[in-house]
Amino acid sequence: MTNPPASLATRGASVRVSTGAALVGALIVWVALLGPLITLLAHLTPASVWNALSQPGALQPLVTSVAASLLALAVIVLLGTPLGYLMARGRLPFPRVWEAGVILPLLTPPLVIGLLLIFMVGPATPIGAALSHLNLTASDTFFALVVAETYESVPFYVLGAMSAFAAVDPALEEAGALLGDGRWRTWRRVTIPLAAPGLANALAVTWARAMGAFGAVLIIAYHPFGLPMQIWVTLQEQGLASALPYALVLVVVALPLPVAAYIWSARARRRL
Amino acid sequence: MLVADFEVARREFSVRVHMRVPPGERLALLGRSGAGKTTSVEAIAGLRRLTRGEIRLGERQLSSARAPAADLPPGRRGVGLLRQNPGLFPHLTVLQNIGYARGSDLARVCEVAERLGLGALLGARPRGLSGGEAQRVSLARALQAKVDLLCLDEPFNSLDLTLGRELLELLRLELASSGTSAILVTHRLEEAQAFAQRIAVLHRGEILQVGDPRELVLQPASREVAELVGYRGWLSSGAQTMALHPDRVHPVGAEGGGEISARVVGMVPRGARIELELEAEGRWRGRFRCTADRSATIGELWWFAAPGAPIFATAEDAAPGA
Repeated sequence: MTNPPASLATRGASVRVSTGAALVGALIVWVALLGPLITLLAHLTPASVWNALSQPGALQPLVTSVAASLLALAVIVLLGTPLGYLMARGRLPFPRVWEAGVILPLLTPPLVIGLLLIFMVGPATPIGAALSHLNLTASDTFFALVVAETYESVPFYVLGAMSAFAAVDPALEEAGALLGDGRWRTWRRVTIPLAAPGLANALAVTWARAMGAFGAVLIIAYHPFGLPMQIWVTLQEQGLASALPYALVLVVVALPLPVAAYIWSARARRRL
Repeated sequence: MLVADFEVARREFSVRVHMRVPPGERLALLGRSGAGKTTSVEAIAGLRRLTRGEIRLGERQLSSARAPAADLPPGRRGVGLLRQNPGLFPHLTVLQNIGYARGSDLARVCEVAERLGLGALLGARPRGLSGGEAQRVSLARALQAKVDLLCLDEPFNSLDLTLGRELLELLRLELASSGTSAILVTHRLEEAQAFAQRIAVLHRGEILQVGDPRELVLQPASREVAELVGYRGWLSSGAQTMALHPDRVHPVGAEGGGEISARVVGMVPRGARIELELEAEGRWRGRFRCTADRSATIGELWWFAAPGAPIFATAEDAAPGA
């Protein structure tokens, strides 16, 4: 190769410098984002974790959180999947209004959601009265915890599902219909498998949000303690060091599903 | 027998179709883009609701504007539709794609795949296929679904010309051997002629003429049809316009003996022959083209005969087409 002209050479050098700068920037962001997690691990010893978790009843918040989040997730998937699909296909009248409705809980501070939920479904409201006929109370109960977690995490799933469905070519659904499938069969054989990687990601984020829901929970479901409440209460009553083991448990329980879903969906996408 | 007599409203104009396709017949729907060809076959395949009329296939009523709720859904009509976009399912293998339709059996899937030369690709995923392979898989999938009528919406137009021609011929033989009727949507006359037994010309939503592949070129019923089947010269003489097809005008010499006298104004090679650009200047005036087997000198005056050239009333508003 001949030597490139001087201007090209300097341009090459400046490209190298800017690439390097971008890499350093990315590294800083990465460390900053993972920093809290690294700090958490650095401040815990196996003995302290064991000590905290072997107290009587220490695992109860974990059980409560997982059960409530699973329920919330089930409700969200059941109701949010069709909604996400209809929104993605533009089959709903006034699409902006629907979108606004889905985004609203995302934009509302969780504490405010909690406050408003008291006024909406609390014991003294018509909905609360209707719920009491079903022996349900949406205040300081397991049911209330599920409601709060659902409100805090539902937008993540619906928006994720919407973009997952939007990425499925309608021509493929049409092809399925032309080959004899009804709408439901096409959905099952074409739409869902193709949207699955995106849906899995949406599900993972939603799970993490539901497990970590705190603001609305604090207001309407102080009891029974899930993990976030347990962390908060322990912090208030016993201090930082005692709260850390619970933080670790929350992270450990909340993370594997998102990570697994992320890895699976990346692999599934590569196959398509 | 497909009996279609319907209207589908579109933004600019309604598409009105009256056609009959007997069992085993291959019909071509010829027209420019936007003429309503795709709308027509989509209506037949069940992807569009009718605004008027009905579609029947044999004993079955497929669609009716009067009771759209009773329209048969797309996959239950015995009508297949093959489009330009192969529409293969990316999450399924070639084998699974071909055998996607309900009630397809493996033996038949393999047999169809084998006939279309897809035997070696059965385990592959659509992502790795070339355009021609993908379209062949799509074709196998459509044939495998056992339909009485296959609609073909310019299926091979995104492939190169030779490959497209090969696949169309393959498809023609498949249809002929199974006795399946077909409607081919196309804007290319040669394609329609090579494939179909009858051609229907669609223009702005109306079927202008239906004829056998040769008749249509020899006797276009209107100016629009003439333009679509390749007439490119428009000579006027008062209230009359004569349509000239480059293959149907013959030079008869420099001394007279024809009905058109014209000067050579340009020449381009066309296949093995030469296409002359001419300016008529006798009783008939205007520009036209004609293929000849030898070149001429620019400015030379020749005489031409155009036996059987269709003559139309001169359009009042429109200038003769280029």
